[in-house]
Amino acid sequence: MSIIDTDVHPNPRNADEIRKHLPAPWRDGFAMPRRPFYHNPIHANRLDATPPGGGPAASDPDFLREQLMGTYGIRHPILIPRTFANIHPNPDYGSAVATAFNAWLAETWLEAYNDDGAFKGSITINHHDPLAAAAEIDRWADHPHMVQVVTDSGARAPLGQRQYYPIYEACERHGLPFAMHPGTDGIGGNTLPTPGVPTHYIEYHCGMSLAFQAHLLSFLTEGVFERFPTLRIALLEGGVAWLAPLLWRLDAYWRALRKDTPWITRPPSEYLDEHVRLSTQPLERPGRDEHLLALFDAVGAERVLMFSSDYPHWDFDSPTRAFPSSMPDPLRQRIMHDTAAELYGL
Amino acid sequence: MTAHAVARLDELPPGTRKIVEVDGRSIGVFNVGGRLHALRNTCPHQGAPLCLGTVGGTMADGAPGQYVPAREGEILTCPWHGWEFDLTTGRSLVDPARTRVRAYEVTVDGDAVILHA
Repeated sequence: MSIIDTDVHPNPRNADEIRKHLPAPWRDGFAMPRRPFYHNPIHANRLDATPPGGGPAASDPDFLREQLMGTYGIRHPILIPRTFANIHPNPDYGSAVATAFNAWLAETWLEAYNDDGAFKGSITINHHDPLAAAAEIDRWADHPHMVQVVTDSGARAPLGQRQYYPIYEACERHGLPFAMHPGTDGIGGNTLPTPGVPTHYIEYHCGMSLAFQAHLLSFLTEGVFERFPTLRIALLEGGVAWLAPLLWRLDAYWRALRKDTPWITRPPSEYLDEHVRLSTQPLERPGRDEHLLALFDAVGAERVLMFSSDYPHWDFDSPTRAFPSSMPDPLRQRIMHDTAAELYGL
Repeated sequence: MTAHAVARLDELPPGTRKIVEVDGRSIGVFNVGGRLHALRNTCPHQGAPLCLGTVGGTMADGAPGQYVPAREGEILTCPWHGWEFDLTTGRSLVDPARTRVRAYEVTVDGDAVILHA
């Protein structure tokens, strides 16, 4: 089976690969970004993902091809650099970091390492400056291997609000999906979707799906898909099993509270089905497979779910082992390939 | 069960490991402070190469807020998802009855490390 992996994280070999794309005054002070806390206490990357020739995990394209594409038959990894462009108090610096990572990705993984065109990229934006973000989308939209726009789920406001609309206008203008991925929640002035600050990594990491629920409620209730009828959204690494009960609640409240948001003319779940796709990793695995398959059935998994591995991160999902073996083959085909192929035009 | 000479003892000093292929099976042989262990090199969770994981200790069960280091050198942590396994038995710490990996006996015959697998 040909597989599209919708969440793969390439890394630069060193900070200089990014620094060279940064102008003054940002160049001199640049260091590879990371969260200052909430570090995984065990390990952050698969230990076997360190390239034999050295360097960070997922910095060697040949080893990534062998370990991810060769082992599992993945045809297209969708590349999402971990830029942390949204943690900087200065919006100009954040936008410069986004631009530098985009230039690096285009130069390396999408060109020098990409003779066969297997690697597809994501245009990183800094959502703290929506106008600069829109200009960044315009800058890269015509690149033949850039297939979406991506940003962090950690934000200062729910992403369905109107201050972000220049971003969605640009996505629509170029026919690019808008994706969000965890990473900056609670850091750099970005709020957490919890009442306060979690203590432990396990608490923070498990709670990341809460941000996706909050942003999704915002998109669905603000009328984003009425304003931008061709916009598509990809929720990456935000969890899957919560979706059905959230939609049941939202559809029920919409029946009662329709005139609170009268621009929502259909059950919210119908907008989701048409506009939103979710990546599967880290897939929840209840004790009984039929419980997960029932939740899949409830959300139309054959239309909304896309496989992702999160390579090289520690909670990697194996294409051959992450899903229940009893999952029907037609659904597997949709999740492993077809839905992502449709979203990204592959 | 067959005895396989898989290494010379001086090839496997304390703190090292060797991954060997025996009858089509990948098995990790460990020397932890002079004690030899061997486990099947496949994590029962998602098939990771378990024996490339970290050898070390864990934290004992304790009261909330307490960290009590325990079992140093007896625990193998999976290189992917971090599941912990008892190096001596192959049993996982969180679900020892059902989540386990095959453990093999290792002996020394003169200078030879013998894997019984």
